[in-house]
Amino acid sequence: MTLVIDNVIKKYPIRQSKSVVNALNGISLNISKGQTLGIVGESGCGKSTLARLIVGLESPTQGAITWRDNVLLRGSKNQWRNHLSPAQLVFQDPYSSLNPRQRIGECIKEVIVAHNLRQKEEIDSRVTELLKVVGMSEDMKNRYPHQLSGGQRQRVSIARALAAEPELLILDEPVSALDVSVRADVMNLLVDLRKEFGLTYLFISHDLSMVRHISDVIAVMYLGRVVELGTWDEVLDNPQHPYTKALIAAIPDHSQVGQMDLTVSLEGEVPSPTNIPLGCAFHVRCPIAVPNCSKMIPQLLPIKSSQSVACSEVVK
Amino acid sequence: MKRERTWINYYLQSTSGIVGAVLVLIMITLSLISAFGLAPHDPLEQNPMDALQGPNGTYWFGTDQFGRDIFSRSIDGMRRSLSVALLSVGLATLFGVTLGVVGGYLGRWIDNIVVRASDVIFAFPAILLALAIVNSLGNSWIDTSIAIAIVYTPIFIRVARGPVLSVKEMDYIKSARVLGYSSPRILGRHILPNVFAPVVVQVALSLSWAILTESGLSFLGLGTQPPDASLGLMVSEAQALAAFAWWSLAFPSIFITIVVIGLNLVGDGLRDALDPARRSTS
Amino acid sequence: MRSLISLQGLSIKTSSDGRSLTSDVNISLIEGEALGIVGESGSGKTLTALSILGLLPRGVEVASGEINFNGENLLSIDPERLRGIRGKEISMVYQDPMTALNPVMTVGNQLLEVLDCHNHDVKDPESHVKQSLIEVGIPDPDRALKSYPHEFSGGMRQRVVIAMSLLLSPKLLIADEPTTALDVTIQRQILSLVSRQRSRRQMSMLWITHDLGVVANLVDRVAVMYAGRIVEVGTTKQIFNSPQHPYTQGLLASLPVASSRSRNRLASIPGVPPKPWLVGQSCSFADRCQFAHKKCRESLPLLDARGTKSVACFYPIASSI
Repeated sequence: MTLVIDNVIKKYPIRQSKSVVNALNGISLNISKGQTLGIVGESGCGKSTLARLIVGLESPTQGAITWRDNVLLRGSKNQWRNHLSPAQLVFQDPYSSLNPRQRIGECIKEVIVAHNLRQKEEIDSRVTELLKVVGMSEDMKNRYPHQLSGGQRQRVSIARALAAEPELLILDEPVSALDVSVRADVMNLLVDLRKEFGLTYLFISHDLSMVRHISDVIAVMYLGRVVELGTWDEVLDNPQHPYTKALIAAIPDHSQVGQMDLTVSLEGEVPSPTNIPLGCAFHVRCPIAVPNCSKMIPQLLPIKSSQSVACSEVVK
Repeated sequence: MKRERTWINYYLQSTSGIVGAVLVLIMITLSLISAFGLAPHDPLEQNPMDALQGPNGTYWFGTDQFGRDIFSRSIDGMRRSLSVALLSVGLATLFGVTLGVVGGYLGRWIDNIVVRASDVIFAFPAILLALAIVNSLGNSWIDTSIAIAIVYTPIFIRVARGPVLSVKEMDYIKSARVLGYSSPRILGRHILPNVFAPVVVQVALSLSWAILTESGLSFLGLGTQPPDASLGLMVSEAQALAAFAWWSLAFPSIFITIVVIGLNLVGDGLRDALDPARRSTS
Repeated sequence: MRSLISLQGLSIKTSSDGRSLTSDVNISLIEGEALGIVGESGSGKTLTALSILGLLPRGVEVASGEINFNGENLLSIDPERLRGIRGKEISMVYQDPMTALNPVMTVGNQLLEVLDCHNHDVKDPESHVKQSLIEVGIPDPDRALKSYPHEFSGGMRQRVVIAMSLLLSPKLLIADEPTTALDVTIQRQILSLVSRQRSRRQMSMLWITHDLGVVANLVDRVAVMYAGRIVEVGTTKQIFNSPQHPYTQGLLASLPVASSRSRNRLASIPGVPPKPWLVGQSCSFADRCQFAHKKCRESLPLLDARGTKSVACFYPIASSI
């Protein structure tokens, strides 16, 4: 195992209302080297919080994140401050993730200089190489971010993350902010890079079709918990959790014109993370809920060797 | 390769900016003439025989009731006003920007203290607070400068802290943290450049306010003391004479007006030149 | 069947330097029909929609063309008359449900204001407004009427906006990416709400989006916009099953299919869309098109009507499926 997330809990206290946002409520996940774990879920499910915890932008309230048996984060201690983390992050919005006053070349170079990753004379050729790796030409070095398209900016973000020579790349909605016609390009690039550098990915998205395209294993999250986990084809072809089923059914599919049955849809909305329903958090919207669902929190239990579900009605 | 247009190029495109810069440069030159003792007359020298002369070939701006040359006194007053303005705004910028950036970036209790303290200072009318401080410190130009600096520091805290708070939440700052950059690097290379433009504009505007505040303090009998010349003090002393010796009031007032308008124009020009959104897209 | 609204040769330019933003847009809708306009950012789809209600942003204006609604040219009618049409006969739903409602007014008062502004005489406005909330599926409408927008979730707020836009039974509903900001399960609820209301009211609809999956399941016809022009129009089945414009085809091929088992490399369209004002007299897609010939760079292909489908391309892809 490369990355082990062990029973991580993250709460954000809100001072004004004396309430607590329960962003993550006990998450356990593993990623092995070279694997891509896809995380899908709607807003409030905690997927972006998880990304921030892994890269050390925030610390978990409880639980541990371990990297190759070194405890990366435990409690509130973050050992990666001022050190180069083996986990790097690519943000969703390529317009705010690059410093508008910094030229592209400078932006990538800074990573190498700040951590002395190359001899002085090799730096420039390394920057050129990184740009080439993400499919950009050397003359882009002198451009400012505002002179680039969204897709090009996202490539620069990826090159900057690669400059840190990471082993794990966390991709938080990396194509959601891009125009439809350039998404495929960036997705293909990510697939190529994974192969070329043996990278491990954590791919976070609300778009199940993108997650399906790139992931080996998919985790479906709902209100800070994993409700279903399995290989990509198991989760998509044979979903077990009622939420996964609803999520898959809700994706508007362009390949089946007029086939979507608009009369059925999952009722209700995701409850607020400040006030999570007792028992199974999904039971208030669940079509198969029984009275017991409001009493016990279902654990993620295997139904097959590689597929687990957190639903007491499915795992009986 | 096409040369990048810097903010100076943009500044030089604005007519009012150039006019402002010229006015300010004239006033600085006059102050320097006085500083090097090159004024046509000694600003303190009394010539009772020549008292209350109108503007003429010997005394360009006329003389006051002691026969002192108003032109020499005016440029000496300008020198003193500008010195006080530069020192006070310099101090206010140094402390205000440091406190604002550090408070804004670190947040938590440090920020709380900075904000509360500046709220307290903001709560007093500027001139009253300056009066109180000068009263307790003393009347030298350095004391006056310190008093004005204390009054203006919260303005710079506010001006510097705002952009820090908004930039701090940008993904590129989070990204810098994930990349393991040190805090000094993040502050210096990624956050401070965003503070530069508003602070420069604020410096230009505050210099003109500081000149007015110094004049006001001198006018009220604090700040510069007779027989030394200060623009505010000259205006104060000329009040009684204005009815029959208009020049004694007019020329120091015109000097104050010119330098304040000049600095305001420079401030506006800088604001336009430094704000990418206000530049025409090319 | 007569058309309810038709846009003819609509061109939109910037007022200051005359940069062309859309050119020669022709769209028509018959009563009860739903048309989807799909395009990427900068394709001009939102400007086209805004121009119908005379709501173009400052600095942007209609340079030429006509917008005929029920026999009146909306571009030349009296502003008072246009104001009467807005909200009453044509209404609009925006992308961001957070900013579409006034934060300091209760939902009930905002709904009543719509009736008030159009001097709409109903016996009991209170119950009329309450009924409108029930129709869009808002639980506890009595409480909702007294609530402020911030007390609702994004999905509920979009329901309120829809209730408001349906209040005066408009003939045409224009929706500008109304589900983009919402989660997929909520998007699904809104889509079923809208399609139910449309068939019940026999209302026409113009649905603007970049999401091809949504239009595939919601509208009768689709217009594809690229760099300020419509490049292909047809029935939804035709556009999705046998696209003829290389751009439409490339766009569809670049999307991963959620229901498919294959994970082949995604087809991609190289490059980025050009700025509409820089295109000139050539096909705007020529630089990215794998089928482009010399002719494509020298003259401008126009929409060519072939039955119900038309495509602005000199070398359209033959129907393959």
